[in-house]
Amino acid sequence: MNYLYLRTFSFWKILPTLTFVVFVSPLVIVLLSLTGDYSDNWTHLYNFVLGDYITNSIFLVLGVGLISLIIGTSSAWIITKYDFFGRRILEWALILPLAIPPYILAYTFTGLFDDYGSANEFIRWMFNLDSSFVFFPNVRNIFGAIIVFAFTLYPYIYLISRAAFLNQSKTLTDTGRILGLGGYRIFINLGLPMIRPAVIAGLMLVIMETLSDFGAVDHFAIQTFTTGIFRTWYGMYDLHTAMQLASLLLLFIIVFLVLERSSRMNAAYNSPVSNANSSSSEKLNGSKSFLCFIGCFIPIFIGFILPILELSRWAFTYNTGFFNESFFIQAKNTFLIALMASIVCTVIAFTINFSVRHTKVIFLKRINPFLSVGYGVPGLILAVGIVQMFTYLDKGIFVGFDFVLTGSLFGLLLAYLIKSYALSNSTIESGFERLSNRLDDSARVLKSSGWNLLLRVHFPLMKTSLLTSILLVMSEVVKELPATLILRPFNFDTLAVSTYIYAAEERMFEAASPAIAIVVIGLIPIIILTRMIKDSKDTPYLK
Amino acid sequence: MLRIKSLSHRYENENLVIDDLSLEVNKGEIISILGPSGCGKTSLLRIVAGLEKPLKGEIKIDKKIVFNQTINISPEKRNLGLVVEDKALFPHLSVYKNIIFGIRKNKQQKQLAEEFLNLFKIEHLKDKFPHEISSGEQQRTALARAIITNPDILLLDEPFSALDKELKNELHEETKKIFIEKNLTVLLVTHDENESSFFSNRVFKFKDQKLLEI
Repeated sequence: MNYLYLRTFSFWKILPTLTFVVFVSPLVIVLLSLTGDYSDNWTHLYNFVLGDYITNSIFLVLGVGLISLIIGTSSAWIITKYDFFGRRILEWALILPLAIPPYILAYTFTGLFDDYGSANEFIRWMFNLDSSFVFFPNVRNIFGAIIVFAFTLYPYIYLISRAAFLNQSKTLTDTGRILGLGGYRIFINLGLPMIRPAVIAGLMLVIMETLSDFGAVDHFAIQTFTTGIFRTWYGMYDLHTAMQLASLLLLFIIVFLVLERSSRMNAAYNSPVSNANSSSSEKLNGSKSFLCFIGCFIPIFIGFILPILELSRWAFTYNTGFFNESFFIQAKNTFLIALMASIVCTVIAFTINFSVRHTKVIFLKRINPFLSVGYGVPGLILAVGIVQMFTYLDKGIFVGFDFVLTGSLFGLLLAYLIKSYALSNSTIESGFERLSNRLDDSARVLKSSGWNLLLRVHFPLMKTSLLTSILLVMSEVVKELPATLILRPFNFDTLAVSTYIYAAEERMFEAASPAIAIVVIGLIPIIILTRMIKDSKDTPYLK
Repeated sequence: MLRIKSLSHRYENENLVIDDLSLEVNKGEIISILGPSGCGKTSLLRIVAGLEKPLKGEIKIDKKIVFNQTINISPEKRNLGLVVEDKALFPHLSVYKNIIFGIRKNKQQKQLAEEFLNLFKIEHLKDKFPHEISSGEQQRTALARAIITNPDILLLDEPFSALDKELKNELHEETKKIFIEKNLTVLLVTHDENESSFFSNRVFKFKDQKLLEI
């Protein structure tokens, strides 16, 4: 409904509209580059590397998609349908690899499996073998990258599949059994097809994360779109061509984003059977219980325990220099920028969601989901768009000054805001959904509206959601690498940048301290997520 | 006090729920509106409160137009009181703070709060939070919060329906006494015929999207 008094300009309408313009502009600028001139560098790209970018990206997406699909859905099925040794711990531990960014797993993989890596050293020591003996295959290739991505990203599919399996009626699987399906055939023929939309939504997230990555593919020297964009810009010094390459990747991402959105809208097929008797788990003993335990433990071992062990070994070896001065400077920079970004992002998301609820203007409701699109856009593309946008603004508005926006902290902050808004928005949106509209009605009749309503009623009631949003954004910002690498002001190092630089210089031991700090901070949302899974109940003032 | 003229309302893509409805309520009068669920009685209350915008018509409160084709005064500027079935007490505020919510700029806030805490017999609960008190006590708090603002019209949407019979009877007696004492103009929406006849000077029933006096 549309109130007459809201047809005028108001802060509640201007803020979301302005945010929409600012968030979408860098992406529009990137896409518009396709309509411009094409430099000679395209001949080089076309003749030598573009084919590699495309085939490697497709190969990566297919490999990562398949493996993470197998791990994510099968572990979700086992955890939901069976009761076995260690299930209670594995249930939440399967999410832990989300705390490890793919680039950190890539660094630890090379530390482990290179010819003189700790895993090969261990095998040689164990079996008293010659120092030239190499047991593990080389991981610095596309297969290594597939393993790295699959074992850090499968939790996206695990989480969404588990939620869908939990909602599946036991009557349906029981009917399948009576009709002759047993064991894994129920999973393949019944369980999995019924949650197909949910699985596709999770898979799209995995694919978008894979296409967005820069750190891991760069470390393994794999030619993909992201490394190509970076090299075209910093190697050929051709920002325009880099933007055109970014546009191609962005078009791919948009396709996956649309698929993800439409799949999420109906995360599981509606079951005609009541969910009241949703799945209770079947007790397993002996070898079956052990097999299920091993099956769920392996992804956690490869995706979380192994990198933690290797990082700890580096830290132990580097012993004295672990907490040096530069670490504290990087930690301070990271903490401050992450805190700033998370607070600004949360305030914007809170205010915009309040605007949507308060004004009930349909236009605002429609643009809010578009503000979250940045989550799926690679940091590198955002960085390219923001640099170009700031160059236009510096040339057009701040004429006569040196670069005001370009190279400033604003660019970095904006990239984080665009990338993390979805996290804040989903947290705050669900917080608002739990608040009854009757509270707003009562407050308005009692002469409280606008800022007064926001600060006196909604803010105190939303404190938990706001804090969750701040923590989620902080952990996301701390991990972000490509946008930080490009947009950080001169001499402004963060933990992610420092890890990248040390790893690029093969100074792995020194990379341990920032990498461990990133993982520890990355555990925050995992803990929140675990708590949410364990206890979905919240405050007493729910609808 | 309240004058509704030729009011019509429909929800998006639905049939009319209110069609060419007119109603006049005098100062100090208690009016009840009866009708089954979904007949439009809550919508009428929400329209008077300004929480929903009708299709057409005119609404005057205390001789001032609050809605017509060109004017739509927002709820916070209509000087009304509203009590709904689920009370909608602010869960983060104590009973005392809930009661003074609507009179934050009033210099006599403290005295008024004391008076209403006593009037509704909840002075001993003033530091408690809504989830710490009983359903009847919550309803007393909600009524006190609405009446303390000295509203031109008090809108009640099934305020007693969630209470058991004994508690309902007790609150009926006390509340009616307060309404009369404060000379309040009340628009009560209910599906309970006994309740409507107990409280009201006039009783209306929804029929064919219009009000019929019975």
